[in-house]
Amino acid sequence: MSQPLTSMLVESQALYLDPAIRDWVLIPIMVVMVLVGIFRDQVTLLIGSTSGKKAGIKAIRETKALTRGVTLRNYGNNIPSSSFLIRKNYLCSSYKKGDFLKNPASANQVVNPMTDPAGMEMMMEGMKKNFAMIIPQTVIMGWINFFFSGFVLIKLPFPLTLRFKTMLQRGVETPDMDVTWVSSLSWYFLNLFGLRSIFTLLLGEDNAADGMRDMAAMSQMGAASPGQPQDFNKLFLAESENLELTPHNWELDDIEVRLLVKYGKRELVDNKDIIEMEDISPISSNDLSDVKGKSKKKRT
Amino acid sequence: MASQSPQNQASLYVPENVVHNTKTITFIRSSMSAINGSAAGILGLTGYSGFIFYALTALFTSFLIWSVKTNTHPGIYFRNGSDVWTEGVFGGLFSYVLFWTLLYGIVHGTYKTIMVHLHKWFMANF
Repeated sequence: MSQPLTSMLVESQALYLDPAIRDWVLIPIMVVMVLVGIFRDQVTLLIGSTSGKKAGIKAIRETKALTRGVTLRNYGNNIPSSSFLIRKNYLCSSYKKGDFLKNPASANQVVNPMTDPAGMEMMMEGMKKNFAMIIPQTVIMGWINFFFSGFVLIKLPFPLTLRFKTMLQRGVETPDMDVTWVSSLSWYFLNLFGLRSIFTLLLGEDNAADGMRDMAAMSQMGAASPGQPQDFNKLFLAESENLELTPHNWELDDIEVRLLVKYGKRELVDNKDIIEMEDISPISSNDLSDVKGKSKKKRT
Repeated sequence: MASQSPQNQASLYVPENVVHNTKTITFIRSSMSAINGSAAGILGLTGYSGFIFYALTALFTSFLIWSVKTNTHPGIYFRNGSDVWTEGVFGGLFSYVLFWTLLYGIVHGTYKTIMVHLHKWFMANF
């Protein structure tokens, strides 16, 4: 009698699940999560597109003018010094005068987001987006909790320590069960993390499908509300200050030397880096004659 | 032509293009981690061997990106050339685990009807 009993014990350790659980719980949860992710992405697009065309031409000019300054700072070295100076002076004076502002009259007033209609619109936008995020998540979790609470769905193929038990067997209160078994709610979380890159494949990089990003957005909400209108006058002044401080080293100043170095006619000069840091005329006449002499020598 | 000073070097990259290249890598990584996860599940890897398999396949993917997509010159496409080897490796781990678990469970007999179970018990005891 003892022999079958032990075999029963061994058998009970090797647990098997009904295929119906696989067909009607495991795979449906995954499919539903993928579909809800796609749906959520589409809804976000829909909400976003209604507000997209509301920016007036003046508002666009405001942001583009700022971008122009940044571009000049970053790529100014690719144009001659005179061109750079002309652009710098023009942009700085316009920034200071507030030529690019949406309404120059209200340059120094602080806009209250509650009274400004555009600010109100932005805040509503944020609210709508958040709702589009939270509702599907709550619905799926409710669905899983209501129908499949306490289900064991699948086994992980790798062992884990006991500390993961509460994480993986949420809703299953059996102390003796092996840690590698995964409950329905934990399968949901596994999907939540794992499907993120699948959404990248399906919907592209900037999708709104995955649930973790909006959690991050929600935690940010307290710190700085996204709908805050920016004070462009201040931004312009800061940008003009940055432009004033930008040095200009023309990229082609020492082009002769670099060309000769590239084609092996001249050795790389050690103090080249130091020369480049200077503002004006990096190659001294001495240096140039040296180059010419060398190239002549090679030719003869 | 690239000049030597670092600040000039940085401005030579067009941000949009770098972003696009990073996207391409993320795409490759995502699909490869899902495919490799499925492969590991079907092969029936368990425990450490599964994670070693992930490390090996990630390395192989990096090698392919490095040799095929960037022609062994990643510095042309990325500010930091070593991005090719590290970008998105840990992001892909989650979907690897998901697909590994799913395919392992489906293929390697986690699911059996009660009849099979009873039959086994019956044959063992009578």
